[in-house]
Amino acid sequence: MSNWNAALDLGGLDIDTAFPDAVFAQLRESFGRMNSSTSTATPLQHAFEKRAADVKAPKSDINALILDYLTMEGYPKAAAKFCKEANLQPQQPDPSIQTRQDIQHAIHSGNIETAISALNGLDPELLDTNPELHFSLLRLQLVELIRQCNGGDIAPALDFATKKLAPRAATNRDFLSDLEQTMALIIFPHDTLQPELASLLSSDLRRTTATKVNEAVLVRQNQRREAAIRQLVRMRAWAETSARSKKKDLPESIGLGLNADNMEYGESGHEPMITT
Amino acid sequence: MAKIQSPPVLSQIRDARNYSEQASALRALKDEIIGHVQRKEWWIENGILESLVKILQNGRSPTRSNGKERSHIRPPEALTEDEGVRLLSLQLLASFANSGTAFLGPLHAVGVVPIIIPAISPADNPPQVVLTALRALRNITASTQLALQGADDTSGLSDALFSSCSLGALCAILSQESRDAVVQEQKSLVASLIGRLCKTVHHQNALADSGVLDALATMLAGFVVARGEVIPGAEVLGQSDGLAHLIPAPPPPGADLALVLEALSTIIANSRFRSYLLLCSPAIMAVFPSAEFTPPATESRTAWNSLEMSGLGSIRAANPGAIDYLLPAVPVPQSRSRSGGSSEYPPLGFSLSRDNLAASGRASTFKFTGLDAGRPDVSSEDEDSDEPESPFIPWLIHLVRSTDGLERVMAASLVTSLFKAGFASPEREQALAMLVVPLLCQLMKAHDKEIPASVQQAAVVAPDTARQWAIRERTPDVLARLVGESVALQQAAYDCGILRMVVKLLKVSYEPQLVQSAPRPWSSTPERGTDAEEGLPACRLGPPGQMPVNAHRIKMRESALKLVAGMATLSNNYREALVEADAVSYIVESLSPSPGKPKSAKEKPASEKEAEDAADNKGATSRYGHNPNAVIMAACHATRALARLPSIVRTTLQDHGVAMPINKLLKHPDAEVQVAASSAIINLVSHCSPMSRPLLNADLIKTLCEHAHSLNPGLRLNAVWALKHIVVDLGNSERKDCLEELEPGWLIQLISDDRPERRVTDADDDEDMDTETLYDEVSHSWTWPAMTRITAAAGPSARLQQASHKLSALRDAELNPARKSRADSLAIQEQGLGFIRNLILLLIPSEQNEMVDHLFTELGQDRLFGILADKLKVRVVGALGRRSARNNNNSSNTTNNTLVLYPQARIVENLTYILVHMAAAAPRHRQLVVAQTELLQLLGGHFASKDARVRQALCQLFMNLSYLESDGDRQPCSQRARDLQAMGFLEKLERLERGDADLAVRERAKAAVAQMKTPTA
Repeated sequence: MSNWNAALDLGGLDIDTAFPDAVFAQLRESFGRMNSSTSTATPLQHAFEKRAADVKAPKSDINALILDYLTMEGYPKAAAKFCKEANLQPQQPDPSIQTRQDIQHAIHSGNIETAISALNGLDPELLDTNPELHFSLLRLQLVELIRQCNGGDIAPALDFATKKLAPRAATNRDFLSDLEQTMALIIFPHDTLQPELASLLSSDLRRTTATKVNEAVLVRQNQRREAAIRQLVRMRAWAETSARSKKKDLPESIGLGLNADNMEYGESGHEPMITT
Repeated sequence: MAKIQSPPVLSQIRDARNYSEQASALRALKDEIIGHVQRKEWWIENGILESLVKILQNGRSPTRSNGKERSHIRPPEALTEDEGVRLLSLQLLASFANSGTAFLGPLHAVGVVPIIIPAISPADNPPQVVLTALRALRNITASTQLALQGADDTSGLSDALFSSCSLGALCAILSQESRDAVVQEQKSLVASLIGRLCKTVHHQNALADSGVLDALATMLAGFVVARGEVIPGAEVLGQSDGLAHLIPAPPPPGADLALVLEALSTIIANSRFRSYLLLCSPAIMAVFPSAEFTPPATESRTAWNSLEMSGLGSIRAANPGAIDYLLPAVPVPQSRSRSGGSSEYPPLGFSLSRDNLAASGRASTFKFTGLDAGRPDVSSEDEDSDEPESPFIPWLIHLVRSTDGLERVMAASLVTSLFKAGFASPEREQALAMLVVPLLCQLMKAHDKEIPASVQQAAVVAPDTARQWAIRERTPDVLARLVGESVALQQAAYDCGILRMVVKLLKVSYEPQLVQSAPRPWSSTPERGTDAEEGLPACRLGPPGQMPVNAHRIKMRESALKLVAGMATLSNNYREALVEADAVSYIVESLSPSPGKPKSAKEKPASEKEAEDAADNKGATSRYGHNPNAVIMAACHATRALARLPSIVRTTLQDHGVAMPINKLLKHPDAEVQVAASSAIINLVSHCSPMSRPLLNADLIKTLCEHAHSLNPGLRLNAVWALKHIVVDLGNSERKDCLEELEPGWLIQLISDDRPERRVTDADDDEDMDTETLYDEVSHSWTWPAMTRITAAAGPSARLQQASHKLSALRDAELNPARKSRADSLAIQEQGLGFIRNLILLLIPSEQNEMVDHLFTELGQDRLFGILADKLKVRVVGALGRRSARNNNNSSNTTNNTLVLYPQARIVENLTYILVHMAAAAPRHRQLVVAQTELLQLLGGHFASKDARVRQALCQLFMNLSYLESDGDRQPCSQRARDLQAMGFLEKLERLERGDADLAVRERAKAAVAQMKTPTA
């Protein structure tokens, strides 16, 4: 996995504002290196690399891209700092980024009720119009309740499932199977679970739900669900794949130019990048 | 259980000691109900709504009169406490409104709409409150549109929203300059509410007059700026007339162009006045001045030049504007002038008297009668018709080409409205055919997808899907309007394979419903189904609405039917192709409110009786949905268009048993449906139709005669028209009965009075004057609001003056009730005369004599001739002494009021044929006609008529008058010829024989001349 993906995945990691700070500093550095080109060129430079090196992305574009990433993924402090440094106008009003971050944080830490309440405060229409999202939040809440009762009194979890989840399950087949699967957690001991049940207890569920919530909020706010850079990365992967499949003249591997040390031939560079 | 913990919250909301306590209770309630339908139901049943409404009522205290500007957005924390409470209450109301139709009953019971409306005023409320109020209105609208038949009426909502006080608020919202997301959403919501709710002319005019149209136009101009497509030099040009500062800023990212286009196209639809108001809306004028343009590079012009060189087309107006360079060059056949709007129509298939042709051509696509506000006399009363086309029109075509999805549809819809209103140059028709129609067809193809079962069962539709559906619903509708009266555009659509596509659409719209209402959520407590009748209205839930997918299908059905009708207006080939593709089975089902499975003719039940029973048994639970009036009317129109081809009437329509459903619709409670049904009847009962007899047995004549007495001019017109067709196939005694049923005195009124309704309502003269006075004041005090605004800032400008004059003229043409009723009356007179003409048209002479005599006894011989002579006189209207005296302080108004009306060609033609038929009866009748010197003299003036059919009729008349029936008639006959010669008719006929442009006229003139000369020689 390249540094790129690591950098992009940090939206899903637990948050420490210092970390993205460091990441974006590194990003900018790398971009700067890419742009100032020619630097440490190997003698046998491929024609493609020459052309790539000739393309100069304006620094303002790159700054905007980074700011967009920080804003969309919900790092208000980093975004504010970055704006100050790069002399940019902030993209969104601050409080909403902060709220989004709070919601993310609440979900990551399993505090679903708080998250729902904050979500209703931020956008009272969201859960009304998006039953799937509401269901996944409620199911996550059920998982947390089951986790808490761990072998003890299951009444709160049962009560919650009866009142909040079961009525919905009757209206949608997917909901029903999701609910059934989740309820199985009450029956089986948590240390010997089948993989698909175990996955419900892992932090992945929290993370994917948090991402879903973030995207849904963003879509309702400005009709774009993810940072522009993610799309750029996908486009790059697509371009490379289709160019290779058409047997265009390309270097064996095209580096991302992120790792300062092993720029071209890092262990990550062998295969065309695959993104989801 | 829940009941135990909740009442404290309710009492906390009701009796809170302070705002913060109330707010926290409301917030708790919000978290409890959002997304939980069962909790919402529980709270409604426990009477929460009244408390919420009370909060909103109390919150409207006059404390906010300090006039503080609220242009900046404050974070939610900065709301005052009472505003916060109000915001929460509105959010709760919006959430209740969002959960479906069942909640509408209780919401309306507490009078929620008048409570919400004051909260949309941005001057009195913080932005978040305005936004939430608009969302609540949007949710109520959406729920209402999903309601079952009878409850789906949005007119109450639109009356409230487009009332004079809230129009100001709408205008203020749209004119806000803030780029904040909250304000942007407010604007989008207002635009979408307009698109959904504005349905009547009354509201369209209110929106146009209040400045909402201008505000929307300014938003659209912002998109022009954002796309970098302002006409080069617009700013410099704008400086001279004070428009330069009106070029708006580009909209912030995420602004929805489709909504703005939709709202605009909703407002201007079907009106020349409002279309022109948009064209000369200040911001549009500012970004699109009509300026000369020399392109920096000449290559782009080469395409045009080469087209011209090769003789494929001419460069329009020799000087394409800047926007034209954004469009590909389109060859324009030089021979063809435009076919839309002119009366040069190819034959429309069968109709007994040729006058139908023009009359049905004149009707616009979605009118069911020949009545068309303002249109018939526009040509004579419009001063400057050769004004250059606005660059806005090519820009819209460019927009259609460069956008996709809903934007494309809406841009096409807007350009269609402007084209139909006649503001596009004639050559644009070709451009629309080449550039727009194929794109719309392509959109229809691209969105022709199966709806997955999971979506069919979902009560909530994802925004993406909703947009897809909107495209699917709207595209055929736009296309139908666009191609309606144009050969070239229909051809283009046909070439794209639209006919097969539209029938497929109908088929999809008649797929049986998977589920009829949303599945109920499971509940741990058994449902108490019996208490539906208990409790206060505010606490009682209503029935659930339809599934979104089913509503979508109904809308698709409606617009597909419109497209069928649109494609079948002109060409027999397309009609036959539609019939072959089995469109009729779907049309027939669409004529009934509760349709059954569409069947081909073979599967139809054998007897009429059976079919009737089946229709009645279907009841309310049809799996094919419930057809609202809009669908029924569209089906009537499609039937009417197809029935213009008699072979279709005799075969397919007859096999499918169209007659009885339509006959039933003639008695529909909604007058508009009646008008639509009677328009279809007109074509179904034309000469030798197999449907006539069964329909007559079903008392059709009685129904039509009732309609002929109706107050609704459209219904009167269609009824007389249909009777005109019916009498042709009747024997004498039946004809007499028909005349009896219609009442001879009433017939006289129909053909003589300008405004029969004056006598119908028995209104005395004063009252009548009052309505006119009312209008007068409104119309003549009307000034173009935008004009006042700009000239106040920058002084008068010629461009604006000119626009303002034309606007006033167009407004008058459209809104003046006197002119409207005059146009109605003329159309009815034409059909009334046609009725008399057919009444006395018989092939057996003795019967014809009898009928003419009967007519004279019933109507009064002198009275009839008097009326006929009256029809031929040039009339001056509007120069009433009283009115001009009142307006003498403003001399220009007086001249505006005076109007010279020349007799219309169709009326003259029908009238002449009445005389022709009279003259074809016994010699004494000929004698009688010749004796009408005044009438004949007046007719003599029409030898110079521009209309060939009038000249033909005249020749026929003189041929008949000089006809020698038997030897006994020789003496009187030569006397008649001498009389006619003395009046100078022989000379006139000879002139026609020599030099008329029309061959048929020359031939008939020749025969007439020969006959007139024979006896004297």
